[in-house]
Amino acid sequence: MTSSFLVRRLWQFVPTLAGVVLLVFLLFNWVGGDPAYLLAGKIPNPERIAEIRRGLGVDQPYWVQLGIFAQQIATGDFGSSWSTNERVSQIFATRLGPSLTVLVPLLFISTVLSMGAAMLVAYWRGSLTDRAIMIGCTVAQSVSILVYILVFQYWLAYRLGWFPVQGWGGGLGENLLGYAALPVLVGVVVSLAPDIRLYRSFFLDEIGQDYVRTARAKGLAEGRVMWLHVMRNAAIPIATNVLMQLPGLLAGAFLIERFFSIPGIGREVIIAVERSDFPVIKAVTVYVAIATMVITLAADLLYRALDPRVQLK
Amino acid sequence: MLGANAADPDKILRITFQAAETGFDPVRVSDYYSGTVIEAIFDPLLTYDYLARPAKLVPNTAAALPQISDGGRTYTLQVRPGIYFADDPVFKGARRELTALDYAYSIGRFLDPKSRSPYAFIFEGVAAIETPGRYTLVVRLKKPDYNFSHVLAFPLTGAVAREAIEHYGDDSPAHPVGSGPFRLKHYTRSSKIVLEANPGFRELVRDGRRLPMIGGVEISIMEETQSRWLAFQRGDTDMEYQLSEVAPTFMNADGTLKAEFARRGIKLQRSVDPEITYLYFNMQDKTVGGLGKEKIALRRAIAMAYKIDDEIRIIRKGQAVRAQYPIPPGVAGHDPDYRSSIAYHPRAANALLEKFGYRKGPDGYRRKPDGAPLVVRYSSTPAERDRQFDELMKRSLDAIGVRLEIHKERFPELIKLENECRLMMRGAAWIADYPDGDNFMQLLYGPNSGQSNNACYRSAEYDQRYEKSRLLPDGPERDRLYHEMTRLMEVQTVWLLLDSRYRNVLLQPRVKGFVKHPVLHAEWVYIDLDK
Repeated sequence: MTSSFLVRRLWQFVPTLAGVVLLVFLLFNWVGGDPAYLLAGKIPNPERIAEIRRGLGVDQPYWVQLGIFAQQIATGDFGSSWSTNERVSQIFATRLGPSLTVLVPLLFISTVLSMGAAMLVAYWRGSLTDRAIMIGCTVAQSVSILVYILVFQYWLAYRLGWFPVQGWGGGLGENLLGYAALPVLVGVVVSLAPDIRLYRSFFLDEIGQDYVRTARAKGLAEGRVMWLHVMRNAAIPIATNVLMQLPGLLAGAFLIERFFSIPGIGREVIIAVERSDFPVIKAVTVYVAIATMVITLAADLLYRALDPRVQLK
Repeated sequence: MLGANAADPDKILRITFQAAETGFDPVRVSDYYSGTVIEAIFDPLLTYDYLARPAKLVPNTAAALPQISDGGRTYTLQVRPGIYFADDPVFKGARRELTALDYAYSIGRFLDPKSRSPYAFIFEGVAAIETPGRYTLVVRLKKPDYNFSHVLAFPLTGAVAREAIEHYGDDSPAHPVGSGPFRLKHYTRSSKIVLEANPGFRELVRDGRRLPMIGGVEISIMEETQSRWLAFQRGDTDMEYQLSEVAPTFMNADGTLKAEFARRGIKLQRSVDPEITYLYFNMQDKTVGGLGKEKIALRRAIAMAYKIDDEIRIIRKGQAVRAQYPIPPGVAGHDPDYRSSIAYHPRAANALLEKFGYRKGPDGYRRKPDGAPLVVRYSSTPAERDRQFDELMKRSLDAIGVRLEIHKERFPELIKLENECRLMMRGAAWIADYPDGDNFMQLLYGPNSGQSNNACYRSAEYDQRYEKSRLLPDGPERDRLYHEMTRLMEVQTVWLLLDSRYRNVLLQPRVKGFVKHPVLHAEWVYIDLDK
């Protein structure tokens, strides 16, 4: 059953990826503008524009360009950045580390904290504490991440001097304990509110189940009921949610990376968009699409592993 | 007595760039940030005196200023012997001397279409490059040009070593090997650029001290204004000039530093960038173009209605001065006493439109003299800053009853349409590539239509004067021609000159000897730091 499910899901990757490729290609050619005019300098003449277009391959018919795009996906070689000439593979290899240095602790801390808080408020459902935390979450969620970054950077780093204002070092320890600390804190604070609200609903679903009533009827201690039974079952959708966040966060953490000068992937994506650097944009889009599909598949398999009742069809 | 190298390794200048660099191969870059680093690493033949204003050419690696012969068509230079490239593995342990061949190769790369250099245009006048001797370089031009020396001082013309370029190939933007005062020590793309004083740098002395005095420069890329501002205030950086958005925080209305910062020993240096911003009309457009009297009247009225003072006060936050002359301060040919004949005067603009038959319809908007609807189209990008310009233009034209249509387009497409002379009206800016008036006056030269002449202006009177000016060195005769060309442009109202922006450089107390140069940007070679 599992193998046929795997084959079917893997096969579904092809049309999904084809849709992504087509969409990116159309959007770039429709919205991006002719990159030759960006690269030609202050005084472009028609010959230079033509030479640049030839060099970039954008003078080819669309179907040829699309074919090259497909070939790049198949070989995993997206060529070089149009603006810096750096290999796209090198860009990802060097930017992934800083992004993960922030995102892994961010996801771990925010997941642990929000799971704990969500379980508590779910347990105290309807109490003053529950209501106060839910109102706090709603308010916190309605504030833009930009505000958190500006305020935290100003107060915690500049005024109180608890963290560096920005920067990035050469060693993992220096970055993890020094430069990444405030970005991680901002990320955790931003994600806590929506995560607590979401995970609370997962816990509430489980608390209302028959097996919880049965466990209590058997005389199990509340701590054991909550931490062992409820937590284990609520962890399944939570794990899925965490995994699903990862690809989006990699490219989507650009604000944190820009403000704290972290040389990560999100910041690189913004630079690529500003420069109409299509090879980088193509690679990011394809990688994020593939990562999303793989992680979705992994989440389904995880679901099955955690809960044998789940059928993979 | 001068030591072998006076650069103190403990003196590291910490600065920021507000945008990522693109690399350090001189032929491949066009951005300010990469160009600044290139200026510190490579050596052009000529450069500018650090303190002279307006900028004054001086020899750099050349033994003297070029000998100009053949009626301005031939430039001969001698490269000083005994200058060496910074050590690099590509030289296999041997010292590599800088010769005329290196300059011939470096300039030749700009002319090679395969390089796709954004600055190829400044060498388009070069017919041939010869090296009759190891240290002798001869540049032959297609046409006489007495201002070509400025091209030889352009920082991107610094010499590269052929073997380094060939060895590093596509990765040469990350491996710059020059003979300049600094060399690349550590490089994390789009994040950190660390330069160290080149230990083999030739003996360059100023006021009895060997240059550079500092041991290196650490450049952090910080895109966000708040990050740069907080980092500077905390003392994490030594110098900051990209803070126009928060200028009111540290500056008084009169341009002086606020007392709280002055008390901390922070210094402010304020200068006007060698640039102009202007509003141009497409002279080939059916509505606003042409030299018919009614067309000139329409352009003149629009120019007289535009609120430049509001642009400076509101959009530029007071960080600009009104441009009166097409050649900005700090550039040879600038005339500080010149006053534009186009003044803000909406009442006169209305009267002018009435006189030339642009009557108001029942809707309050004017119609063309033939009765057809008059709609002026102003092009801009979707950027937030451009929306402010759109609103100002709308308010300005509403005051004279001219209906405005805002045309939004992506930047590359705007450039494309501009090159095809298909826009009606747009704001533009030009910053000096080299500090000579020619770099600005060429913007209205007819044959440059569809390239730098974005107004697509073709005037025999202007072109004749411009061609004559190309044969003259900087001086009163050339200035007279520039005056006539400027008046002609004003009379026909091809452009409305807008403003030149201030550059406010904030310096920590430890920075010594910094003076902002109009066109040099890597002044690091001249400064010192307290420890």
